[in-house]
Amino acid sequence: MLASYGLIGLFFVVVLVFSLTMVVIPIILRFLKIVPSHPNPVKNSTFECGMETIGKTWVQFNFRYYFYALVFLALDVLVIFLYPWAVQLRALGTFSLWVVLILVFIVFIGYLYAWQKKVLEWK
Amino acid sequence: MNLDLFIPEITLAAFAVLVILLDLFVRQKSLLRSVSLAGLIIAGGVSVAMWGGDYLPIFNNMLAVDEFALFFKLLFAGIAFLVILASADYVNKFERFQGEYYALILLATLGMMLMAATADLISLYVSLELTSISLYVLVGFLKDKKSTEASLKYLLLGAIASAVLLYGMALVFGVTGETQLGAIASSIRSMAPVAVLDSPALIIGIVLMIAGFGFKIAAVPFQMWVPDVYEGAPTPVTAYLSVGSKAAGFAIILRIFFSAFGTPFWLSENWGMIFAGLAVISMVVGNVTAIPQANIKRMLGYSSIAQAGYLMVGLAVMGVSMLPSSGSALAFSRFQGQAGVIFFLASYALTNLGAFIAVIAISNKLDSDLIADYSGMGKRAPLLALGLTLCLISLIGMPPAAGFMAKFYLFSAAVQNDLLWLVIIAVINSVISAYYYLRVVKVMWFGEAASAEKVPSSGAPRFALFVCCLGVLLLGIIPGLLMRLAEVAGRMFGF
Repeated sequence: MLASYGLIGLFFVVVLVFSLTMVVIPIILRFLKIVPSHPNPVKNSTFECGMETIGKTWVQFNFRYYFYALVFLALDVLVIFLYPWAVQLRALGTFSLWVVLILVFIVFIGYLYAWQKKVLEWK
Repeated sequence: MNLDLFIPEITLAAFAVLVILLDLFVRQKSLLRSVSLAGLIIAGGVSVAMWGGDYLPIFNNMLAVDEFALFFKLLFAGIAFLVILASADYVNKFERFQGEYYALILLATLGMMLMAATADLISLYVSLELTSISLYVLVGFLKDKKSTEASLKYLLLGAIASAVLLYGMALVFGVTGETQLGAIASSIRSMAPVAVLDSPALIIGIVLMIAGFGFKIAAVPFQMWVPDVYEGAPTPVTAYLSVGSKAAGFAIILRIFFSAFGTPFWLSENWGMIFAGLAVISMVVGNVTAIPQANIKRMLGYSSIAQAGYLMVGLAVMGVSMLPSSGSALAFSRFQGQAGVIFFLASYALTNLGAFIAVIAISNKLDSDLIADYSGMGKRAPLLALGLTLCLISLIGMPPAAGFMAKFYLFSAAVQNDLLWLVIIAVINSVISAYYYLRVVKVMWFGEAASAEKVPSSGAPRFALFVCCLGVLLLGIIPGLLMRLAEVAGRMFGF
């Protein structure tokens, strides 16, 4: 029992040493003047690609987006279930086809519900 | 794979979907009630028809279809049926979302049915969450301040309880390497006793699982959500919570602790003692805090904590009676605890539902849940008051009501298994409980009526209350049939 926990402890020590070494190496190389130091604005910018942000990033999103998030979630889960079925389509046969059709039907009812309750309209 | 054994659940799921679909296109909302009731009748009827066959586990040993599961499926269908009948007037309080109300009750019932049948930690968790999430929504259905607060509290505390339960399940899985209950049991049996004692992970896992389930059955010290949630939730949902959710919790505890942790004896004896301890504090805290309550829903909430305490006496009996059976007499006494709990759950379901149905019918007209406002109800609504009185007497455990027989079976099983000290505490608590139950009876029959106006009630709740009272009386006078069923159901499927 103690030996197996000891193994985990050893692993922990290796992790600590490794990560510390990785942090210290560039600093040492910098001191030894092996790494050149030529800073410029592009190098110092936060993002190396894409657009510079305009204004603050902490903006409020409209609360109504949460409906869309919920509807999206249902589809997302459906896709997760469809993938393994699609991979084994032939091996699983017609029974699983019916099962998947029922699943799609249930998710479809979820959409119908959202549609009928006017969730998809932006008032 | 044999889908025939899965028909009750499939029926219920199909009807829940049908209710959602109909709700979108039908203006007449009372049709939805009839459809949900029909679904519950079919699901319950199929469960009855399946009784007595010889059954295999389905879905790769994920679910067990045995008498135990079938009994609880019928019980849950019956509970949901009565709750939907009782909420016939109450649903008009919800301006929108009536269809969702019925659909969510059906889905919660489906989750409870799966909970009773589950034979694997994973299917257990999925069915538990199906029930819980439906109930979180139902609790917040009134959309006023109290109801929303209740729903939020229930959600947050329920999430913590789920996390604790999952942690316990993970530890048990870590030690045994199995999620299937029978496989867990054989894995524990194959360990040397010293190895089990040496690994506290298994013990901690079991204790954390008890804590997680303790939340579901509202045992002290996991009861803090009960009063606020019971008070804030719509009253039919409170009734459903106090009966359905609790029965499902006990079903799952019976299943897991019998199938997975039932052997060896020194293990079952120890968790039996944990349940005995929880029973004592649940009974004492529940009964003592129920005394000063002025709101009848809060009072019934605390009383349901105390009832969970009495029920846990049965779990303690199950734990200490798990000796390896040598003779036929011993083999019989091995199932007394389970049979007692199952009988108690059935009688408690009828009794508590009856009490809540009367409260729904009365409070719906009074628009108040205060016990003081029930004054003179014996003159204003004699039938409702009579029904409520019978149910309260049954909750105390006085003959000729079902509660007496239930307590009698449970406590005699406990005495036969050397738990006399526990029975003495339970009986003292029953006497304490008589005070606050009878206070309501006294206010109703001997109090001055605030007005002479009658309190009318419509047909469906009256019928539901009649069914409950009839059941309470029948179980109290001729308990033999249900007791035999409970004994059969108590012999669970072995793996």
